Amino acid sequence: MSNDFYKIIAKVLSISESGISDESGPENIESWDSFNGLVLVDELESHFNVKFTISEITDVKNVADIKRHLKNHNVNLDE
Amino acid sequence: MNLSKNLDDMKFDKKLKVAILPSFTLDGLDETFHVKCSEIGIRYQSYVAGYNQYNQEILNPESDFYNFSPDITFLIIDIRSLLGNYFYFPYSISSAERKSFVKEKINELENLILQFKNNSSSKLVITNFNVPSYSPNGIIETKSEFGFHEMIHEINKLLKNIAKSQNSIYTYDFNQFVSKYGEQNIFDYKQFHIGDIQIAFNYIPYFVHELMSYVKPMFGINRKCIVLDLDNTLWGGVVGEDGFDGIELGQTSNGKAFVEFQKQLLSLWQQGIILAINSKNNFDDAMKVIRNHPDMILREKHFASIKINWDDKAQNLKQIADEINIGLNSIVFFDDDKLNQERIKQEFPEVLTIEIPNDPSQYSSILTNLNDFHVLQKTEEDTKRGEMYAQQRQRKQFENTVSNLDQFLKQLDIKVKIKKSNEFLIPRISQLTLKTNQFNLTTRRYQEEEISEFSKDENFEVGCVQVLDKFGDNGITGAYIVKKNGTSWMLDTFLLSCRIIGRGVEDAMLSQILKDAKNNGVEEFKAEFIHTSKNKPAENFLSDFGFKKQDKFWIYNLNNDIKSPNHLKVEIE
Repeated sequence: MSNDFYKIIAKVLSISESGISDESGPENIESWDSFNGLVLVDELESHFNVKFTISEITDVKNVADIKRHLKNHNVNLDE
Repeated sequence: MNLSKNLDDMKFDKKLKVAILPSFTLDGLDETFHVKCSEIGIRYQSYVAGYNQYNQEILNPESDFYNFSPDITFLIIDIRSLLGNYFYFPYSISSAERKSFVKEKINELENLILQFKNNSSSKLVITNFNVPSYSPNGIIETKSEFGFHEMIHEINKLLKNIAKSQNSIYTYDFNQFVSKYGEQNIFDYKQFHIGDIQIAFNYIPYFVHELMSYVKPMFGINRKCIVLDLDNTLWGGVVGEDGFDGIELGQTSNGKAFVEFQKQLLSLWQQGIILAINSKNNFDDAMKVIRNHPDMILREKHFASIKINWDDKAQNLKQIADEINIGLNSIVFFDDDKLNQERIKQEFPEVLTIEIPNDPSQYSSILTNLNDFHVLQKTEEDTKRGEMYAQQRQRKQFENTVSNLDQFLKQLDIKVKIKKSNEFLIPRISQLTLKTNQFNLTTRRYQEEEISEFSKDENFEVGCVQVLDKFGDNGITGAYIVKKNGTSWMLDTFLLSCRIIGRGVEDAMLSQILKDAKNNGVEEFKAEFIHTSKNKPAENFLSDFGFKKQDKFWIYNLNNDIKSPNHLKVEIE
């Protein structure tokens, strides 16, 4: 599952999987603009079959935040 | 999205400048357009106006938008921004006030369109407004006096009328787009609140697919002909094995799907799409079904070419194209067999080969989803095309019975009507310049707006020819443009539809132009031949007629006799 998670981020933002860490976010990844942010939401929602709330989406500053929200939706990436 | 960044380097001969004026966030539209244009060989340049800037862009003649000078502009306004608060509170005002509000809004839109026309020669596509399924009035919405939904329907109707009366203005039925894909899919509240996105971005590709329907015919790259297989394409089963009574057509569920598909094909034929057959079969078995099966919708007379044999399908397809005299890039190939699809894809990538599922109930929607048959203007010639090709087959049969060509031409009773351009002829003349590849001296492409300009300009002479013979009316099939510079005239454009070539019409046309020049005291008459990969049929025309080459131009000495063919009648209108 964790594998898919990084694959999706890498694909949406056109970066390599190895370049993604918990600290990765719009501040340090150039392609992570507001539009790609929404595309990422859409891809994650359909892949993990969850629906994020608006406050969850606007709250995201980095990859760690996404993991935390996914966990709240009972998606555990470490399994 | 990444693909779009790398496309600029490719070399395309077709160029398109697109302007997008949205009232809300349409991220991704521009990039998707870019990719779709590149897929069909169009170099794409765009101008995307800022969010909700369309009023300023259109009303200010000096705007960046006008400076960009687009070929086509998409004005995309959403119903929320048009109605403002009345989108939410339509019943806070009386029905009379709702009526005058609608009038005011339509006046605003009409004014925008007029300003646009004054300042730009671009085509304009304006999307109409989506009627929400919800109404605060609930189930009695339909009983309300000029209610919420009626307001939007009325705006859409008036908008359509404005566009109908203007040549280069089109309305795109966005309301229908929403019903096709579903309001709940297209409009995503989350995306709306986060980014004012009013078409969910996963539906942007579908939206662009629809808008591409306007782009393709601008370059004359719409498809004209559908080449069909028979077994498991027009009917279920294999006639050679299952027999006349064993094929599925009409009665069973599968059989009904084939009938439905045939009806959709017939409907396209009535709009001028040419149909042809390319099938591996025993000729007699298959023809018996086409001629006699009670549930067959398409009959022999609907097909411009019939190839039923055991030859290679690719060879057959090439012969069909030659016979009908159209390019392979005008053809759609419909065949259920994966191997045949592969064969055609490899041999002729320019043919649009459709991938077809095993389930015939899907055939109709695959056909109706294609956006390749659209035209921006339908001329009389277009809708009669099916009939004209049937006549053409008769002419061919007649040609085979007459021994020599001169005799054949004399017996055809050809009449050529030369007509000066007028507002009814402009769309067809433009269409001919966009589509004619073979007998075309210069292959200059002109949009309607340009032909219209030339027709008004006294330094230009724009004309066309209608050709009739004993088998029927061939319609407007030739066109010319002469540029006049005092006593020096230049043949800017001279073309003839390929199904007319070789009957002396081209000679009659040029002869008339030269006589006209002579009568006007012209001293120098110049013509050009611009070589392309397709216009070989016109290569020797000028020298055969008596033009002499000087540098890059061909010159005709007007002191010489001007020959004109005597087997045809020429009328000047």
